[in-house]
Amino acid sequence: MNPSAPLDLDWLRRRMPDRELHWLATTGSTMTVAARLSADGSPSGTVVVAEEQTAGKGRAGHSWHSEPASGLYLTLILRPHNLGDSLPLLTLATGLAVKEAVESIVGVAADLKWPNDLLIEGRKAAGILLTYDSGAVLAGIGINVNHTRFPAEIAPLATSLRLTGRRELSREPLLVRVIEGVERHAALLEEAGPRAILDAFTQASTYVSGKRVTVDLDGREITGVTAGLDERGFLTVRTPTGELVTILAGGVRAL
Amino acid sequence: MKIEDIKQLIDLANETGLAELEVERNGERVRIRRAVAGAVQEYVVPGAPVAATTHQAAPVAAPAPSPAAAAGEDPALTYVKAPIVGTFYEAPSPDVPPFVKIGDQVQVGQVLCIIESMKLMNEIESEVSGVIVSRFVSNSQPTEYGQTLFAIRPL
Repeated sequence: MNPSAPLDLDWLRRRMPDRELHWLATTGSTMTVAARLSADGSPSGTVVVAEEQTAGKGRAGHSWHSEPASGLYLTLILRPHNLGDSLPLLTLATGLAVKEAVESIVGVAADLKWPNDLLIEGRKAAGILLTYDSGAVLAGIGINVNHTRFPAEIAPLATSLRLTGRRELSREPLLVRVIEGVERHAALLEEAGPRAILDAFTQASTYVSGKRVTVDLDGREITGVTAGLDERGFLTVRTPTGELVTILAGGVRAL
Repeated sequence: MKIEDIKQLIDLANETGLAELEVERNGERVRIRRAVAGAVQEYVVPGAPVAATTHQAAPVAAPAPSPAAAAGEDPALTYVKAPIVGTFYEAPSPDVPPFVKIGDQVQVGQVLCIIESMKLMNEIESEVSGVIVSRFVSNSQPTEYGQTLFAIRPL
């Protein structure tokens, strides 16, 4: 394993012998490739990983900066059973798994901004986006690993594991931790129910309660103090007028 | 019937407060039904009850098109319901055209919209082949579980 080289596929395949692993030197988005594989019946646990994405996807049409061989850009196919209404909690579960993997490998404390942005020292180090289609969840994860700089427009908001941990990292062990961690948290959600994930997220994120935030509700902004997750995992915010607003989707920013 | 005509009918329904409006012209029939659940529109209005916490009402019907139409629904149409609580998006990103518009013919499995719930993007697919005759929610609007999104006239 050489941090500056492409992923060591032999090592990864030895480490995860039963896993369907697709590696791409460059692709538009691992989400698109995974959607096709999923439609063709690839099993739960299938991973699509790319050295570079030319059209990495973020929420609401945002892109994800995917510098070649510096980050981990992957999509994991999950086929959960019996999740029903708690399916969206997979997004919190995925964030928890990425946080744990990063903290254990880099040795720095990370935070989760609801619902699942991974922040280190207040800057975004990883982003997660899930899509659900025909019984399969595609968990898209982008982690800034060995980036030393970012494009000007995101530089004030972004960081990498290398910039915060002060050393270059091999991406392979991180990839394994992330994949296995997401599966473990998804299993926890299925077996122990929503409360296990809600409690773990509440513990793991400084954003869940008592944080002054503004929330962009698709163009309209509200300001208030976070007041915990509701039973479905939505963030609640208490506004200055005393109203409790439930955030279904939207960009949350600390003040 | 042109899209402008349909827009005029929607405006008319909105202005007059009609819950439902059906117009037939040259063999083409358009029915406009307004979503009556005003609470979702009040969602971010200061002082208004929060839809997501105050509206725990039982779902109107199963989230998938159900064989037995719920009250007020036209049994000849197939209604597409929201399978989760979230936010309705008409397009995959803000700068591209909607997945579908009224009058479009859709196939089984075609994506009609996305409901986002905590960054889980739920692609809602049509379970029938037919023509989109109504859309009951606007872009970026919060949706409740079981809320009607589209009506499709099966072909």
